[in-house]
Amino acid sequence: MDIWNILEYVAWAASAAFGLIIVADWLRTDSTYSEDVLMSSREGELEAMTEEHKI
Amino acid sequence: MARYEPPTQSKLGQIVDVIVLLVLTIGALYIPLWLGLAGSAQTSNVPENPTWESLGQNAVMVEKWNQLGYADPAAAAELITSRFDYSFSIGSLLMMIVVIVGYYAIMLRFSEKEYREVISEKFNGE
Amino acid sequence: MTDFDITSKERDGMAPHGTKVGLLRVLGPAHVWALGVGIVLVGEYMGWNFAVGKGGAYAALIACWFAGLLYSCVAMIDSEVTSTVAAAGGQYTQAKHIVGPLMAFNVGLYLVFAYTMLEAANAITVGFLIDTVAVMSGHEGLDQRPFIVLAIMFLAWLNYRGVLATLTFSLVITAIAFSAILILFLATSPVFGGDVLQHRALMTDLPYGWLGILAAMHFGLWYYLGIEGTTQAAEEVRSPARALPFGTLAGIMTLLIAATLTWYVCVGLMPWEYLGQSGVPLFDAARMSGSTGLMVLLGIGTLFATLASANGCINDASRAWFAMGRDHYLPSWFGAVHPKYRTPYRSIIFLVPIALIFALGAPLDQVITFSILSGLLEYTFMPINVILFRRKWPLDAIKRGYEHPFHPLPALVLLCLCGIAYFAVFLGYGTQLVAMIAFYIVVSLWFHFWRYRFVRRAAQFTMPWPRPQGY
Repeated sequence: MDIWNILEYVAWAASAAFGLIIVADWLRTDSTYSEDVLMSSREGELEAMTEEHKI
Repeated sequence: MARYEPPTQSKLGQIVDVIVLLVLTIGALYIPLWLGLAGSAQTSNVPENPTWESLGQNAVMVEKWNQLGYADPAAAAELITSRFDYSFSIGSLLMMIVVIVGYYAIMLRFSEKEYREVISEKFNGE
Repeated sequence: MTDFDITSKERDGMAPHGTKVGLLRVLGPAHVWALGVGIVLVGEYMGWNFAVGKGGAYAALIACWFAGLLYSCVAMIDSEVTSTVAAAGGQYTQAKHIVGPLMAFNVGLYLVFAYTMLEAANAITVGFLIDTVAVMSGHEGLDQRPFIVLAIMFLAWLNYRGVLATLTFSLVITAIAFSAILILFLATSPVFGGDVLQHRALMTDLPYGWLGILAAMHFGLWYYLGIEGTTQAAEEVRSPARALPFGTLAGIMTLLIAATLTWYVCVGLMPWEYLGQSGVPLFDAARMSGSTGLMVLLGIGTLFATLASANGCINDASRAWFAMGRDHYLPSWFGAVHPKYRTPYRSIIFLVPIALIFALGAPLDQVITFSILSGLLEYTFMPINVILFRRKWPLDAIKRGYEHPFHPLPALVLLCLCGIAYFAVFLGYGTQLVAMIAFYIVVSLWFHFWRYRFVRRAAQFTMPWPRPQGY
């Protein structure tokens, strides 16, 4: 078993770790906040307030 | 004008819709592959006992081939003589044009219809 | 319409201050440049050279410049529309406001597929590169899969954690990859490199004649594919009306320079028959220059370019998917924003397994062709888009952050060049083209007759514009 075999296992482990972090945070976020808050993003809200589309 | 109120979609319906899209996508990618229609035709015409001269390579090119790891002409011959086949039939060209133009025509027509609805609901209510 | 009261409760889809958590506006023009160039620069490190194979060295240069013209038109048109429609989703949101919902749905899918496929192709290249290094160090039979998966998972995590860190990362590695090309050019140029470049001896006549030049356009697109992705950042840029045109146009200029330099160095170092099928042409060029330092530099450059590209692709594909979810074009579940990181986190998560399926399961050329075709369909939409934009809202109707010159000339040039590119794809890849369009016809019908019923009609028109002329 040389360095490359070890690297393969390290890469698998790191991938799994990143995956777990993402999924854990996702589940925690979904259970902490209500859907209303999470889905409240509206398109173009800032434009309506700050930009005058008049000449 | 009456405002259109969309129905609320159930969780199950949402999942089904995503699966339908996924199946269609993977189908579009893999069906040409299964039918063996993917990829383009490349043919090599390797002469017998190729030499660098018969392959049309000059001294500098030969040096570069050697540097790239192709020590003798026979090893590089297949690469050098490989050519695409660009012949095509007018029929298949016309079919492609019809498909592309037809696609955009259908899409723009439906879009226009939906767009008029959007604009009239948006601007007539005020 | 222009005198609306923004505190009114009546306004569609825009309850005032209704956004409790939205995307974060933190990016500057340099990030826009990094997003655009970062996605594309990988095309200089691999892929563009297939144009040499399809038509010879000179054909690749002509294709490079014609494709450059095509993308200059794309960048100008995009800059004008985007400096006015500044929202996540980019061309999707433009299509929704200017052409119509079905077109928008199609454009959204073009974006998601072009970027997700490109991301998969990048991950495959990362695996290939690491395998090459392993072989050079004497290890045969490396399992590439863990590295492919790791590249995708790491970048997905980075994207999940926030847009500023993501694009700052892109900015740094893109700058390094671009510098590597410049250094390679300087080191091999007659000034410093002596007579390394052998253009006179290596250049040949066009092997396929003029037809080869047309065919080369197919992969000529690879020099620039993805620059239009800058618009996806619109909702996260501090000053979209200024930063987007600036970043996009600076990006296309960078790419024109990089593409021409890459062509010049590569054709001066390798016979075209080899170059036309090389997997990593710039790395090969560095190898041929005889300098170990250059070889290491360009190896790193290749790795960074692929990572920057995959990174930008995750960013762009998830923004487009998110925007469609927010409008109920797709299940609304995807329209959520992470309350802490302010990213469209559900879209990012959803696209990870899809990228993995394609990176691990599909052949590279198939994935690339899928990506190029989606891009091409999108470029065909742009001239239609801008012509309708100018017709429905003439220059004096709304304020634009940037107005592109010589309208409608760029639009018409772009349309012609798209026609040529379709023909180029048709030469050799006609079946995929038809399969692809059949796919889009089927999903269009699905959307029009089924999915569209869940979409609120007026609410999707969110820009505070006057009524379009003629409606």
